Amino acid sequence: MKRKLASLDEALSPISSGSTIAMGGALLRRHPNAAIRSLIRRGVKDLTILGWVSTTAIDLLAAAGAVRRYEGAYAGMFSYGLAPNLRRGVESGDIEVRDFSESTMVGRYRAAAAGLPFFPVTALLGTDIARMNPEQIKPVECPFTGKTIHAVPPAEADFTIIHGYQGDEAGNVQWPIVRDTDDIDQLMASAAKRLIVTVEKIVPTSEIKKAPTMTYIPGNWVEAIVEVPFGAHPIACDSFYNEDAQHLQDYVSRCKTAAGAQAYLEEFVHGQPTHDDYLEKVGPTKLAKLKAEGTRQ
Amino acid sequence: MTTAYSTNELLVCEVARHIQDEELAFVGVGSNGRAFTLAVGIPLAAIRLAQLTHAPSAGVHWGNLLDADLSIQPTSISQDVLTNWPAGSCPVDTGYKCDMLARGAFDLCFDSAAQVDQFGNLNITAIGDYRKPKVRLVGSLAQPEHLAYVKRPIIMMDLSRQTFVPEVDFITSVGHVSRGQTRAEIGLSPGGPALVVTNKATFDFDPDSHRMRVRTLHPGVMLEEVLDNMSFMPVVPSTIGQTSEPSAHELELIRSEIDPHTTFLIA
Repeated sequence: MKRKLASLDEALSPISSGSTIAMGGALLRRHPNAAIRSLIRRGVKDLTILGWVSTTAIDLLAAAGAVRRYEGAYAGMFSYGLAPNLRRGVESGDIEVRDFSESTMVGRYRAAAAGLPFFPVTALLGTDIARMNPEQIKPVECPFTGKTIHAVPPAEADFTIIHGYQGDEAGNVQWPIVRDTDDIDQLMASAAKRLIVTVEKIVPTSEIKKAPTMTYIPGNWVEAIVEVPFGAHPIACDSFYNEDAQHLQDYVSRCKTAAGAQAYLEEFVHGQPTHDDYLEKVGPTKLAKLKAEGTRQ
Repeated sequence: MTTAYSTNELLVCEVARHIQDEELAFVGVGSNGRAFTLAVGIPLAAIRLAQLTHAPSAGVHWGNLLDADLSIQPTSISQDVLTNWPAGSCPVDTGYKCDMLARGAFDLCFDSAAQVDQFGNLNITAIGDYRKPKVRLVGSLAQPEHLAYVKRPIIMMDLSRQTFVPEVDFITSVGHVSRGQTRAEIGLSPGGPALVVTNKATFDFDPDSHRMRVRTLHPGVMLEEVLDNMSFMPVVPSTIGQTSEPSAHELELIRSEIDPHTTFLIA
């Protein structure tokens, strides 16, 4: 068994400016925020981000001026409004966005996972999403029916970062019995070239082996695994802890201005050299309360 | 005899009447405030009302919960409530929901947008120029799929001149005509938005011109008030009906069984 356990900085060290990164999670759950804060601290820039339905992770990167391009089905702050920093970046022309609807983004990850050169889709016929992106959404004739459909390219990233629930030192990651599923993390993992996973806790491999069908990310696919409790904070890790509503409200409110966003980054990212420092800054009492609201752990 | 009721209760009853037995509806997880009430709260309450009256086997795919149990009355809807909501099934990832959409598994869905136009096109992507927008919105989610594949999409929006526009700035999701082309010309299946439910009136689409058409006015609302709140002229038929008022029984069900903690009809 190859041991893949690493520290956060070790695991992320191959990622450099200019990389394309796929990020897991969905809306207010399990974006790899601790990993993203670590990349921001290191000053990684000029990233192309392949997402799914992204909130905090993409907006933190946008606040840090680290995003060149975003491709995904959604970028916002869900019930907390629009994504303030991404919005500012796109409106000023600094960040390029190309939109893909959910089934077309799923198709792109399926193509990457299957090693296919494209995926055929029909959801974007007649949309401006297709009209404004002729480089990536190309009309093709179905060889069987002759109908015009679209081909979209595989979602190929240099690195894929996913925050999971629990795993072992071999990189096997398991989901809990009760969880929320509006993500595509397993598909993204299967499509990854170099997969880095952070998990809430590392458990003995003997525990994992009791229920191999609960392993949704096999260690075989994983380059490095890191134990990062509260690794999704300020959003939720379903069945471990709820989202931090107060922190999210504060974030959105401060990020209304670029200066406010920089002050937030100073306080919670650059001002906290490690994830442990970050958790200390957020406060153990507050974190315990988020955990207490969850019901299954 | 009529009982006093809110506009939201009127809309719940109106939407419920469009849900047939054994139909399957898709409802998203919404955002907050009025947007949540329109896109999630009213649809969920309407589906439950239909289940309790004329459509006992109507089903719902709510977020990623297939056959979510609407007989329970939540006191709040946070992430944790959704994670633990009882449901018949929860497919392991959203890709399966996308597949169900594309294969036409859904009869109904509920959508709102920053802009809707006279042909029922929706915009949740950008106001202004796409490459350098005045306002960058959220993107698309699965809304293009809803309008492309669902049999009878229902648009749920409050009337205003800012949101009911002649032509949306960006077509995220295709209604009945996109930039001069009909659904048939584009290669989309028949369908498209069936109904537009607003705070003042309901609309459908004229089969010949494909344009939005006034269908019913809510009790007490005059046509002029509706037209004043739109930036385009809808098709106005010579006779316009009134949106049916809720019955005392329907109101009793909504208030005591369906939404006793005002979790669905929050704004």
